[in-house]
Amino acid sequence: MQRISVFFATAALMLLATLNTAHAAGDPAAGREKSQTCAACHGEKGNTQNSMYPKLAGQHPSYLYQTLKSYKSGERENAIMAGQVAGLSDEDMRDLAAYYGSLEGDLHTLPLGQQRAIIRRQRGSGCPPPAAHATD
Amino acid sequence: MTKRRASALAATLAGLMVAGAAHAEGDPQKGRYAAQTCLGCHGIPDQANVYPTYKVPKLGGQHSEYIVSALEAYRSGARPHPTMQAQARALTEQEIQDIAAYFASIDQSR
Repeated sequence: MQRISVFFATAALMLLATLNTAHAAGDPAAGREKSQTCAACHGEKGNTQNSMYPKLAGQHPSYLYQTLKSYKSGERENAIMAGQVAGLSDEDMRDLAAYYGSLEGDLHTLPLGQQRAIIRRQRGSGCPPPAAHATD
Repeated sequence: MTKRRASALAATLAGLMVAGAAHAEGDPQKGRYAAQTCLGCHGIPDQANVYPTYKVPKLGGQHSEYIVSALEAYRSGARPHPTMQAQARALTEQEIQDIAAYFASIDQSR
Protein backbone atom coordinates (compact mmCIF):
# COMPACT_ATOMS: atom_id res chain seq x y z
CA MET A 1 0.00 0.00 0.00
CA GLN A 2 2.69 2.44 1.06
CA ARG A 3 4.81 1.50 -1.93
CA ILE A 4 1.89 2.21 -4.25
CA SER A 5 1.25 5.66 -2.81
CA VAL A 6 4.94 6.50 -3.06
CA PHE A 7 4.76 5.45 -6.69
CA PHE A 8 1.75 7.66 -7.36
CA ALA A 9 3.26 10.59 -5.51
CA THR A 10 6.43 10.28 -7.57
CA ALA A 11 4.47 9.99 -10.80
CA ALA A 12 2.39 13.03 -9.87
CA LEU A 13 5.48 15.06 -9.07
CA MET A 14 7.13 14.10 -12.34
CA LEU A 15 4.02 15.07 -14.24
CA LEU A 16 3.89 18.41 -12.48
CA ALA A 17 7.55 19.01 -13.20
CA THR A 18 6.95 18.30 -16.89
CA LEU A 19 3.96 20.63 -17.02
CA ASN A 20 5.91 23.32 -15.25
CA THR A 21 8.83 23.02 -17.67
CA ALA A 22 6.48 23.11 -20.61
CA HIS A 23 4.97 26.29 -19.32
CA ALA A 24 8.34 27.91 -18.64
CA ALA A 25 9.67 26.94 -22.04
CA GLY A 26 6.67 28.17 -23.99
CA ASP A 27 4.84 26.43 -26.80
CA PRO A 28 6.40 26.92 -30.26
CA ALA A 29 3.18 25.98 -32.08
CA ALA A 30 1.21 28.55 -30.10
CA GLY A 31 3.99 31.06 -30.69
CA ARG A 32 3.74 30.54 -34.41
CA GLU A 33 0.07 31.46 -34.30
CA LYS A 34 0.92 34.66 -32.46
CA SER A 35 3.84 35.64 -34.69
CA GLN A 36 1.92 37.12 -37.63
CA THR A 37 2.64 40.73 -36.69
CA CYS A 38 6.30 40.06 -35.89
CA ALA A 39 6.89 38.74 -39.41
CA ALA A 40 6.35 42.20 -40.92
CA CYS A 41 9.75 43.31 -39.63
CA HIS A 42 11.53 40.15 -38.48
CA GLY A 43 10.78 38.14 -41.61
CA GLU A 44 8.56 35.23 -42.46
CA LYS A 45 10.49 32.75 -40.34
CA GLY A 46 12.51 35.17 -38.25
CA ASN A 47 15.18 35.53 -40.91
CA THR A 48 14.57 39.11 -42.00
CA GLN A 49 16.67 40.48 -44.83
CA ASN A 50 16.13 44.02 -43.56
CA SER A 51 19.39 44.90 -41.82
CA MET A 52 17.69 47.35 -39.46
CA TYR A 53 15.91 44.56 -37.62
CA PRO A 54 17.45 41.62 -35.77
CA LYS A 55 17.13 38.10 -37.08
CA LEU A 56 15.33 36.01 -34.49
CA ALA A 57 15.43 32.50 -35.95
CA GLY A 58 17.51 30.21 -33.78
CA GLN A 59 18.12 32.83 -31.10
CA HIS A 60 18.09 31.59 -27.49
CA PRO A 61 14.45 31.55 -26.27
CA SER A 62 15.49 32.77 -22.83
CA TYR A 63 17.11 35.85 -24.39
CA LEU A 64 14.08 36.54 -26.60
CA TYR A 65 11.75 36.20 -23.64
CA GLN A 66 13.94 38.50 -21.55
CA THR A 67 13.98 41.05 -24.38
CA LEU A 68 10.19 41.03 -24.76
CA LYS A 69 9.80 41.44 -21.01
CA SER A 70 12.16 44.41 -20.91
CA TYR A 71 10.24 46.09 -23.75
CA LYS A 72 7.04 45.51 -21.82
CA SER A 73 8.42 46.92 -18.58
CA GLY A 74 9.80 49.93 -20.45
CA GLU A 75 13.32 49.10 -19.31
CA ARG A 76 14.31 48.81 -22.94
CA GLU A 77 12.89 51.61 -25.03
CA ASN A 78 11.73 51.22 -28.59
CA ALA A 79 8.65 52.87 -30.00
CA ILE A 80 7.75 49.99 -32.31
CA MET A 81 8.40 47.17 -29.87
CA ALA A 82 6.70 48.92 -26.98
CA GLY A 83 3.51 48.99 -29.01
CA GLN A 84 3.87 45.38 -30.06
CA VAL A 85 4.37 43.92 -26.60
CA ALA A 86 1.70 46.01 -24.90
CA GLY A 87 -0.98 43.42 -25.61
CA LEU A 88 1.14 40.34 -24.93
CA SER A 89 0.72 38.17 -21.84
CA ASP A 90 3.61 36.43 -20.14
CA GLU A 91 2.54 33.21 -21.83
CA ASP A 92 2.42 34.90 -25.24
CA MET A 93 6.00 36.10 -24.77
CA ARG A 94 7.18 32.64 -23.74
CA ASP A 95 5.42 31.09 -26.73
CA LEU A 96 6.89 33.59 -29.18
CA ALA A 97 10.36 33.09 -27.71
CA ALA A 98 9.98 29.32 -28.02
CA TYR A 99 8.75 29.62 -31.61
CA TYR A 100 11.58 31.83 -32.86
CA GLY A 101 14.14 29.83 -30.92
CA SER A 102 12.94 26.66 -32.62
CA LEU A 103 13.45 27.98 -36.16
CA GLU A 104 16.46 27.34 -38.34
CA GLY A 105 18.48 30.45 -39.05
CA ASP A 106 21.81 32.12 -39.60
CA LEU A 107 22.43 32.94 -35.96
CA HIS A 108 25.13 31.17 -34.03
CA THR A 109 27.57 31.67 -31.18
CA LEU A 110 30.70 33.53 -32.23
CA PRO A 111 33.49 31.19 -33.29
CA LEU A 112 36.00 31.01 -30.48
CA GLY A 113 38.41 28.62 -32.20
CA GLN A 114 39.05 31.04 -35.02
CA GLN A 115 39.76 33.79 -32.55
CA ARG A 116 42.21 31.67 -30.60
CA ALA A 117 44.19 31.23 -33.78
CA ILE A 118 44.29 35.01 -34.27
CA ILE A 119 45.51 35.54 -30.73
CA ARG A 120 48.19 32.89 -31.21
CA ARG A 121 49.31 34.57 -34.41
CA GLN A 122 49.53 37.94 -32.68
CA ARG A 123 51.60 36.48 -29.86
CA GLY A 124 53.79 34.69 -32.36
CA SER A 125 54.51 37.89 -34.27
CA GLY A 126 55.74 39.57 -31.11
CA CYS A 127 53.16 42.31 -31.54
CA PRO A 128 51.09 43.19 -28.51
CA PRO A 129 47.40 42.49 -28.96
CA PRO A 130 45.23 45.52 -29.72
CA ALA A 131 44.24 47.55 -26.68
CA ALA A 132 41.83 45.51 -24.60
CA HIS A 133 38.58 47.37 -24.13
CA ALA A 134 37.88 45.70 -20.83
CA THR A 135 40.70 47.62 -19.15
CA ASP A 136 39.63 51.00 -20.48
CA MET B 1 25.09 63.67 -73.83
CA THR B 2 25.00 67.41 -73.27
CA LYS B 3 27.53 69.09 -71.09
CA ARG B 4 24.85 69.99 -68.57
CA ARG B 5 23.65 66.41 -68.33
CA ALA B 6 27.17 65.15 -67.89
CA SER B 7 27.82 67.54 -65.06
CA ALA B 8 24.53 66.62 -63.41
CA LEU B 9 25.52 62.98 -63.62
CA ALA B 10 28.94 63.73 -62.18
CA ALA B 11 27.36 65.66 -59.32
CA THR B 12 24.98 62.76 -58.60
CA LEU B 13 27.82 60.28 -58.56
CA ALA B 14 29.89 62.51 -56.29
CA GLY B 15 26.90 62.85 -53.98
CA LEU B 16 26.48 59.09 -53.84
CA MET B 17 30.14 58.63 -52.98
CA VAL B 18 29.91 61.14 -50.16
CA ALA B 19 26.77 59.46 -48.85
CA GLY B 20 28.55 56.10 -48.96
CA ALA B 21 31.52 57.44 -47.05
CA ALA B 22 29.30 59.07 -44.43
CA HIS B 23 27.65 55.71 -43.83
CA ALA B 24 31.12 54.36 -42.92
CA GLU B 25 31.16 50.72 -43.83
CA GLY B 26 32.74 48.56 -41.18
CA ASP B 27 35.78 46.42 -41.88
CA PRO B 28 35.18 42.79 -40.85
CA GLN B 29 38.91 42.07 -40.66
CA LYS B 30 39.47 44.88 -38.16
CA GLY B 31 36.28 43.84 -36.42
CA ARG B 32 37.70 40.41 -35.78
CA TYR B 33 40.40 41.93 -33.62
CA ALA B 34 38.19 44.50 -31.97
CA ALA B 35 35.68 41.77 -31.09
CA GLN B 36 38.02 39.73 -28.91
CA THR B 37 36.50 40.99 -25.69
CA CYS B 38 33.02 40.08 -26.92
CA LEU B 39 34.00 36.43 -27.12
CA GLY B 40 34.30 36.15 -23.34
CA CYS B 41 30.52 35.87 -23.32
CA HIS B 42 29.27 35.72 -26.92
CA GLY B 43 31.80 33.08 -27.94
CA ILE B 44 30.77 30.53 -25.32
CA PRO B 45 27.83 28.34 -26.36
CA ASP B 46 24.95 28.65 -23.89
CA GLN B 47 26.78 31.19 -21.75
CA ALA B 48 24.32 32.54 -19.20
CA ASN B 49 23.70 36.08 -18.06
CA VAL B 50 22.78 36.17 -14.37
CA TYR B 51 20.32 38.38 -12.46
CA PRO B 52 18.22 37.88 -14.44
CA THR B 53 19.24 34.51 -15.85
CA TYR B 54 19.05 34.05 -19.60
CA LYS B 55 21.43 32.93 -22.28
CA VAL B 56 23.53 35.66 -23.87
CA PRO B 57 22.39 36.23 -27.45
CA LYS B 58 23.94 34.58 -30.46
CA LEU B 59 25.52 37.32 -32.57
CA GLY B 60 27.18 35.42 -35.40
CA GLY B 61 25.25 36.04 -38.60
CA GLN B 62 23.23 38.91 -37.14
CA HIS B 63 22.59 42.03 -39.27
CA SER B 64 25.31 44.67 -38.97
CA GLU B 65 22.93 47.62 -38.92
CA TYR B 66 21.09 46.11 -35.97
CA ILE B 67 24.35 45.42 -34.09
CA VAL B 68 25.40 49.04 -34.62
CA SER B 69 22.10 50.32 -33.25
CA ALA B 70 22.32 47.97 -30.27
CA LEU B 71 25.86 49.07 -29.38
CA GLU B 72 24.95 52.73 -29.82
CA ALA B 73 21.95 52.29 -27.54
CA TYR B 74 24.16 50.66 -24.89
CA ARG B 75 26.68 53.46 -25.27
CA SER B 76 24.09 56.19 -24.81
CA GLY B 77 22.51 54.33 -21.91
CA ALA B 78 19.18 53.99 -23.73
CA ARG B 79 19.50 50.22 -23.53
CA PRO B 80 20.20 48.92 -20.05
CA HIS B 81 22.88 46.35 -19.21
CA PRO B 82 25.81 47.48 -17.10
CA THR B 83 28.40 45.19 -18.70
CA MET B 84 27.33 45.98 -22.24
CA GLN B 85 27.17 49.71 -21.49
CA ALA B 86 30.75 49.60 -20.20
CA GLN B 87 31.88 47.64 -23.25
CA ALA B 88 30.15 49.94 -25.72
CA ARG B 89 31.45 53.11 -24.08
CA ALA B 90 35.01 51.89 -24.60
CA LEU B 91 34.44 51.58 -28.34
CA THR B 92 34.93 54.21 -31.03
CA GLU B 93 32.30 54.70 -33.72
CA GLN B 94 34.59 52.99 -36.22
CA GLU B 95 35.15 50.00 -33.92
CA ILE B 96 31.39 49.60 -33.54
CA GLN B 97 31.05 49.55 -37.34
CA ASP B 98 33.92 47.07 -37.68
CA ILE B 99 32.60 44.71 -35.01
CA ALA B 100 29.13 44.79 -36.54
CA ALA B 101 30.56 44.03 -39.97
CA TYR B 102 32.52 41.12 -38.51
CA PHE B 103 29.50 39.59 -36.74
CA ALA B 104 27.43 39.87 -39.91
CA SER B 105 30.18 38.41 -42.07
CA ILE B 106 30.70 35.13 -40.26
CA ASP B 107 28.52 32.19 -41.06
CA GLN B 108 28.04 28.81 -39.51
CA SER B 109 29.86 26.86 -42.19
CA ARG B 110 33.18 28.56 -41.49
